[in-house]
Amino acid sequence: MAGTGIFSYAPAIALFPLVAFVVALVFGKYMPKKGAIAGIFATAGSLLLSLVMFAAVAGGEVYHETLYEWTSGEITSQVGAEEIEFTFGILLDPLSTLMLVIVSLVALLVHVFSLGYMNAEGETGLPRYYAELGLFTFSMLAFVFADNLLMAFMFFELVGLCSYLLIGFWFRTQSAPSAAKKAFLVTRFGDYFFLIGVVAIAATFGTVAFAGDDSFVTAAETAIDDGTQLFGFDAQTWVTITGLLVLGGVIGKSAQFPLHTWLPDAMEGPTTVSALIHAATMVAAGVYLVARMFGYYALSPTALAIIAFVGGFTALFAATMGVVKDDIKQVLAYSTISQYGYMMLGLGVGGYVAGVFHLMNHAFFKALLFLGAGAVIVLMHHEQDMWKMGGLKNKAPVTYYTFLAGALALAGIVPFSGFWSKDEILYDALIVGLEQPVILAAYAMGLVAVFFTGFYTFRMVFLTFHGEPRSEMAEDPHPVGWAIKVPLITLGVLATVAGLANLAPVAKLLSIDITFLEFWLDGEYGAVEGLTYHDYHETVPFEEGYITSETVTMLLGAGVSLGLALAGALTAHSLYNVPEPSRHMTKLGGAYTTLRSNYYQDEFQVWLAEGLTLPIARAANWFDQTVIDGTVNAVSSVSLFGSDRVKHVQTGIVTNYAALLVAGFLGLLVVLGLYGGWF
Amino acid sequence: MTVAVEYYVLLSMGLFCIGLFGVLTRRNALMFLMSVELMLNAANINLIAFSFYHGNLTGQVFALFTMALAAAEVAVGLGIILVLYRNFRDVDVTVPTTMRW
Repeated sequence: MAGTGIFSYAPAIALFPLVAFVVALVFGKYMPKKGAIAGIFATAGSLLLSLVMFAAVAGGEVYHETLYEWTSGEITSQVGAEEIEFTFGILLDPLSTLMLVIVSLVALLVHVFSLGYMNAEGETGLPRYYAELGLFTFSMLAFVFADNLLMAFMFFELVGLCSYLLIGFWFRTQSAPSAAKKAFLVTRFGDYFFLIGVVAIAATFGTVAFAGDDSFVTAAETAIDDGTQLFGFDAQTWVTITGLLVLGGVIGKSAQFPLHTWLPDAMEGPTTVSALIHAATMVAAGVYLVARMFGYYALSPTALAIIAFVGGFTALFAATMGVVKDDIKQVLAYSTISQYGYMMLGLGVGGYVAGVFHLMNHAFFKALLFLGAGAVIVLMHHEQDMWKMGGLKNKAPVTYYTFLAGALALAGIVPFSGFWSKDEILYDALIVGLEQPVILAAYAMGLVAVFFTGFYTFRMVFLTFHGEPRSEMAEDPHPVGWAIKVPLITLGVLATVAGLANLAPVAKLLSIDITFLEFWLDGEYGAVEGLTYHDYHETVPFEEGYITSETVTMLLGAGVSLGLALAGALTAHSLYNVPEPSRHMTKLGGAYTTLRSNYYQDEFQVWLAEGLTLPIARAANWFDQTVIDGTVNAVSSVSLFGSDRVKHVQTGIVTNYAALLVAGFLGLLVVLGLYGGWF
Repeated sequence: MTVAVEYYVLLSMGLFCIGLFGVLTRRNALMFLMSVELMLNAANINLIAFSFYHGNLTGQVFALFTMALAAAEVAVGLGIILVLYRNFRDVDVTVPTTMRW
């Protein structure tokens, strides 16, 4: 594991974008493309290095090295270590190298796309935009290769900061700063739990390392095996508690119920930023964290079940809201929430490979869809309402066909990438669900969400591209340049073929070894000990059940989900693929209003703030002002009043002082006399 | 003939009380100073009387110290009285009350 050879360049993966950030910030104004070139070169460098690392891991090497030590100190932890070190380190294993490639690839494409999207519009503040984009990429890459929980937390926060900056890019409008604030506050709310979790883990196990013999995962495993009591709980309960605390950060960043409300509002940022946030950075960070410390979650069936249930519920919940949105970006935003719900479901049932697979596929097709939406917005002269679009199919074929590829992948239609990963998640959920009622409920919600996904995806496609143009802008679309087309085509190809990475059902049916991603994550090539699918699978305590046989279960599950996806797509076809589509959703009556208002989640949160928190805060303030301050003020006013009386003893007349002296002396004599028994 | 020590104590007490009375009732700073001298002398008489009574010289040495201190005190006291007079055109000790609250 020495930092020799090619791995010594690993820090540069993250440092390139950091340099680009500085360059764009300082010199961006004077550069020809306002910092875009620096960003493109930096992310291209990161991508290149990531691919080299990927190849090195494929060659059987891994890299785990501490680069910098913040501080170390003695600690009286509950188990094991007597010394704790807080360090910066790099961990390059199959999972992190895969993610590095995804992140740097999407970041590169977003940079290129920005040339066509941002630079073409006479936008001001471009150096700021590219600088923030660079910082965002830097923090995400550093988060991905972090080798300990504290470093992960630091970059997790930095990712949050960057999303705040980028969502609020158009800070002169009213909505963008408000959306940025909301995103920051809601995700920070989750991050508080994360922080407490980090502290709890550090205090319990005396280490925050992800991998190796002195990792907290190993320590927790030993504690559970030994039946150690941790802070008055048995070890497994304590693992569940700390795991769930960390999960708070995940729920905030990955926009899971109930902290998902920031994400649709985040559409106020530039569309390119949405692509980056949704596909590879901010939102992916949460799910990636669960995958990163999966060994820890695997120790606790309760935590896993909660992850799975939250994921399944979010998948369905968000999908139903996506059905009635008119803004093309809003539909995609709800779809993102829903898709990350699937990933959580997959991870929660122990389907580590399935979850990571979907994370990868989703990165490609959601980046594609957002960039496609960006292209549509350019075509439409900055109109986002789908009801004003229509008929773009023939006028912008590249955009249409790439978007369609993304949509098919998102809806989970065979053979596009989304089908394979979503199906694998649902399959893993099903086999565990047959033994566990809670998981079965989560599976059922995920399954129903497939129908809604198919429906809203194709509703979006049909409304945008099919039918007759419904506005002047749609009749005369603005042409798009190569900078927009190249990323779209790249991602379009990836969204179509990425499923090849893990054709699990085909592999099982034909008994051939083509589940490459599973081999990859299982340490078939290089792997850090303890961080393989194999190890996780042994730790996860769930039983698996089958309907008659494995093959039948698989075909049945795949058939049902594909059928539902097609049914959703066909429903959308019959309702919206007509020359003059109408707002069928209004026929739903009360349900429509509820969905339109996102189940009144925002209202509920505002009520929570104004109706509950504010009175409590007022009461606390009153208590503080009257009781606490009152007591303090009373004490001081007693001495003030007392001294006000007593000060009159001081007359300034010498005679009075002398008299007081004498009186005091006489008094002393009398007292001494009484005690001494003179009288 | 030896005088009993009680008489010296009585004399000293009388002198002291006269001095105290002067301090508490007089307004003139000079009278003040004189009263303080009386009180110091009362203390001196006591010291010498007890020194004689016990048959050692410590008390007498202390009386000499007191006299030296009294002389020094008068020097300081007169200085204060001069300043007092310069500032207030009076030697009445009840006039300068500015150094209170």
